[in-house]
Order: sequence, then C-alpha cells, then structure tokens
Amino acid sequence: MFDSVGPHVVMAASSDENHPPENITDGNTKTFWISTGMFPQEFVLRFAEPTQISGVTVDSYNVKHLKIDKNTTQQASQFEPVAEKEFECTEGQLQSNYISLNGSSATQLRFIIASGYDHFVSVHRVSVKY
Amino acid sequence: MVKLRARCLVVGDAAVGKSALCHTFYSDGTLFQKNYSMTTGVELIMKCVNIPESSDSVELYIIDSAGKETLVETCEKMWGQPSLLCLVFDLTSQQSFANCSCWMERMAAHCKGLQIQGVLVGNKSDLSARREVQESVAKEWAQSQGLEYHETSAKEMENCDAPFRRLAQAFHSLYQQRRDTIQNLGPA
Ligand SMILES: Nc1nc2c(ncn2[C@@H]2O[C@H](COP(=O)(O)OP(=O)(O)OP(=O)(O)O)[C@@H](O)[C@H]2O)c(=O)[nH]1
Ligand SMILES: [Mg+2]
Repeated sequence: MFDSVGPHVVMAASSDENHPPENITDGNTKTFWISTGMFPQEFVLRFAEPTQISGVTVDSYNVKHLKIDKNTTQQASQFEPVAEKEFECTEGQLQSNYISLNGSSATQLRFIIASGYDHFVSVHRVSVKY
Repeated sequence: MVKLRARCLVVGDAAVGKSALCHTFYSDGTLFQKNYSMTTGVELIMKCVNIPESSDSVELYIIDSAGKETLVETCEKMWGQPSLLCLVFDLTSQQSFANCSCWMERMAAHCKGLQIQGVLVGNKSDLSARREVQESVAKEWAQSQGLEYHETSAKEMENCDAPFRRLAQAFHSLYQQRRDTIQNLGPA
C-alpha cells in the first residue's frame, strides 16, 4: 500500500545542491533534503490528479512541529490545514512518524516545518498511504 | 554550492551604535549617521556574506532592534526565532556593558531551547579617551557567555564587518557539522 514513487516535490525553500528536495520522494532514507536555516521551512508534494490519501509517513531528523495543508484545485494559493503533529526528538537516529489524513482528497500537500530541535532539519522520505 | 539563511538579532542598550554598525556593514563602510536617530521598532537589513574558500554563502537577515527600555517589549514580538546574536555595548558606557546580561536573558526566552552562536561587540573604539570598559574585562565576560568578542568603531568604519562575517562563518561551520551528523545517522 505504500508508494513513494507517486507524488513529486515541486518546491522547497532551502538550497544545498547536494541535497535537493527530490531526495524526499526517491523512496530512499539514505538520501535527504536538508533545511538551510530559519523556520518555518516548507515543501510541497504534487499528485498527478486528485488523490485520496489515508496518511503519510515522514522519516526525518530534528523536526519538532510539522503542519500539513492540502489543496484540491490546481491553484497553488488555496491550501487548507489537514493535520499537524509534534515529533519526538530522536538523537542519533531518524524520526519516523505516521500522520493520518483520513482519506482526504488532495492534489497537493504542503508540509510546513514550524520548528526544529536544531537550526537545521532534514527530511529523508515521505511515503504516501492511499 | 550551499545557500544558508540566518536570522541575526542585534540588541543592546539605546544609543550604543547598533544601527550605525548595521548600516556601516550593509553599505560596505560608506554610510555613517552622525546625528542620533533612535530606532523605534525593528529594522530588517539583508546582506549576503560569502564564505571564504567555498562557493557557499550565508544570507543574513539582520534584525536591528530598538534599545530604549520602553520599546523593547513591543520589539520582542518581532524578533521571531533567532539563529545568531550580535550583542552590542558602548565602550564609553559601563552601564551599557552591565546591561548585557539582561539582554542575554531576554534573548534566551526566544531561542526555544536552541543554542545560539553569538558575538559581543564593544562599539565606539574611536573614543579612546572616554573608554570605561577595558578589553580584558569584556573579553572575559564574553567568554563566560560563549560569545566571541570584537571591538568596532562605526564612526571610523573600523572592524565593522568582522562580527557579522564571523557570525556567518560560525553558522556555516555549524551547518557542515550537522549535515555530517545527518549523513551518518542510523535508521529509525
Ligand atoms: N564616536 C562614535 N559614535 C558612534 C559610533 N557608533 C555610533 N555612534 C553614534 O552614537 C549615536 C547612536 O547610534 P545608533 O546607531 O543610532 O544607536 P542604536 O544602538 O541604534 O540606538 P537605538 O536605536 O536607540 O537602540 C549616534 O549619534 C551615532 O552617530 C562610533 O563607533 N563612534
Ligand atoms: Mg538603532
């Protein structure tokens, strides 16, 4: 049921060319996207068409508070909040958190990292459960 | 190539020269305002610093915040979560140096548990005849707070880049360390 190939990242605020946002959706937790300073940080996953989503699993490091907004039209500006979660700090190993989206239909999901346990946070994989 | 972004908070008592320092840094030493014009809120100044011997850079979002006591509370609401600290005092005012510990406490409340790298800046080094704070004393206190000490003269455009460049470099080093840590993480 898990599929990390479906959506792709269309934008992210940070820039280290060795750790591009595509690393979030490549299905590999060895590769990652890393924030490059300041909060909030965000990235957007886009689906080819409106998709029903039961939830997402986020593998990350030092993320503290994550909010997820969704969008059901192709207009980038119209997002509504669907979920948020406070992650636990896991020193020395990745965080892995499942966030239920209750079968919401979305064409885009915006992930907003509102705060972190450090100045820099990383996201290694987002897997979508349909 | 890495482009970092850091929110650099500039605080300290009124009239110690925070705005002068920021403007001198921003204008590459072409701008010094002799007449005191009090900052009444926070002023945002953005400047990109290149990191030597790399293609990396740090964009500093410098928050120049009013020092006047009655304005501080309002300003604090606009500080956000700082990444770096530039704490300024006036070398000709013992009082402005003594108040630095207050500023450290105020700042700490905004850091949400994150450790913030910072510098302590003794400004107005040109007024040597009126100096009230000795370098050794300031340096020692800075060390006890984990701050790096610098002396500057915004008026003579002396050394004003150094504190900001050092902050950018410190942020860049921290980034490299953290990135290495993340690269070597175990699975969940
Ligand atoms: N001699 C001398 N005067 C300085 C220096 N830096 C600033 N000044 C003067 O000190 C006064 C106060 O400078 P500001 O930069 O406005 O001080 P500030 O810390 O921003 O003050 P607030 O905005 O009230 O918090 C001005 O008259 C400046 O011209 C310096 O290095 N040497
Ligand atoms: Mg000012």
